[in-house]
Amino acid sequence: MLVQFYNVSKIYSNGVKALEDISLKIDAGEFVFLMGPSGAGKSTVIKMLYREENPSRGQIFVASRSLVRMKKRDIPILRRSIGVVFQDFKLLESKTVYENVAFAMEVIGANQRDKKSRVLEVIKLVGLQGKENSFPHELSGGELQRVGIARALTNRPLLLIADEPTGNLDMNTAQEIMELLFDINRKGTTVIMATHALELVKAAHKRVISLDKGKLASDLAPGELK
Amino acid sequence: MMPLKNAAYFFREAFKSIARNHLLSIATISTIAICILILGMSVLLTMNTSTFLANLESDVEIMAYLEQELDQDSIQEVKDKLESLSGIESITFVSREEALKDMQETLGKKNYDLESTLGKNPLPDSFEIKALDPHDVPQLAVQIGKIPGVYKVNYGKGVVEQLFSTARWVRVVSVVFIILLALGAVFLIATTIRLAIFARRKEIYLMKLIGSTDWFIRWPFFIEGIGLGALGSMVSILILALAYGSLLNRVDTIFFMALVSDFDVLIHLYLGLFGAGVVLGIIGTAISINRFLDV
Repeated sequence: MLVQFYNVSKIYSNGVKALEDISLKIDAGEFVFLMGPSGAGKSTVIKMLYREENPSRGQIFVASRSLVRMKKRDIPILRRSIGVVFQDFKLLESKTVYENVAFAMEVIGANQRDKKSRVLEVIKLVGLQGKENSFPHELSGGELQRVGIARALTNRPLLLIADEPTGNLDMNTAQEIMELLFDINRKGTTVIMATHALELVKAAHKRVISLDKGKLASDLAPGELK
Repeated sequence: MMPLKNAAYFFREAFKSIARNHLLSIATISTIAICILILGMSVLLTMNTSTFLANLESDVEIMAYLEQELDQDSIQEVKDKLESLSGIESITFVSREEALKDMQETLGKKNYDLESTLGKNPLPDSFEIKALDPHDVPQLAVQIGKIPGVYKVNYGKGVVEQLFSTARWVRVVSVVFIILLALGAVFLIATTIRLAIFARRKEIYLMKLIGSTDWFIRWPFFIEGIGLGALGSMVSILILALAYGSLLNRVDTIFFMALVSDFDVLIHLYLGLFGAGVVLGIIGTAISINRFLDV
């Protein structure tokens, strides 16, 4: 069991109720879609996974570690086992593709010796070989997201979280990115993807967890979503 | 402590940040340089004034004039009594003949016979007494005045007290001035670091999500702050050393006041100013890091 939520509720300090009594489990190796309209609580669930937010009530475990009881100094360790992909890519404009990916290894003080081979390996994995020295402004949207995915994979995470990764992309490019994510999942990484894109979700035949107004609306096994 | 294997990364990031905000960096370095320069000048002024005052203070002597026509035994008796007082550094007997000779030398005309002009030597025998601590002089003078055979005691009453209060004021004013300047420098460094943090907020957020430790994120900013403080102080030390060095080359006294020129003392001053720049850098960075770097 990689991720466990037990009766998780979240009320923000401004009084907004973001989540109400959410319980769910995700196994290692699963591919799970997280769906729901804006404000349903998807972002809160995602931020809780890497401990940017803490629940007001309930318990969360990631890889058997309690996030609620986790000490502040242990948070970096948790985050190194999670890769995050963003809708707006969050690449550093002044760095090349290679540097953006290497950044993930540099900032955790990773061993510099095998940095280069690992960075080139993930760049190849996402299909960007030959673009190592390009800058973000020279790349297309799909390529930018591939860099984001490469960066998230660099430190060999157990869990890949993708927050609307296709939100800024056209349909064809979105499908290519989905293929890449499925491929990464097949190689063993658990993937949780938050999205609005019903077409992509229907075509994928994966587990779908739906949130509505902070509550768990449905949790459908692969193929159940019609 | 800073993990050594990451030191290169921290220094590279700090240098890039200084270069990226080069205008602000130059402004900060200049202002720190001016602050430290004024600090250094204040310290040099204080040091010179203190040496000057210390010399004056140590020059303060008590003159005990003896009654006329005292015989050798009585003079010895007075000397014994003086020696029994505590806090005395030295006692020198000045005979009336020596006193007359001194006076004649002071007047500067050796061939002018003062004694024959005056008819007789009007000066009394006297003791020159130096106190171990110049601050004891007024109280010692009272005690000496009570010794039988002592006709009059003189120690520049009033002048001594004024000297001490002037010295105290010079020190207090310098310290206040230096504190105000240091606050200004700290504020500037804090502002520069705050802007550097702001310029990199996207990167810092990413670093946090990827799993950087708090100190890994903080180190480049500390190096930047310390670097700005160190660079600023080096500029000011250079200016100060050149200016003071050329002053020493031309003159060694100003208004009869010997300038501090001891190499060891000056090196300590310059090292101290460098240390002050570094400390200002650390304090300025610490203020902004805790307030604006939410890690």
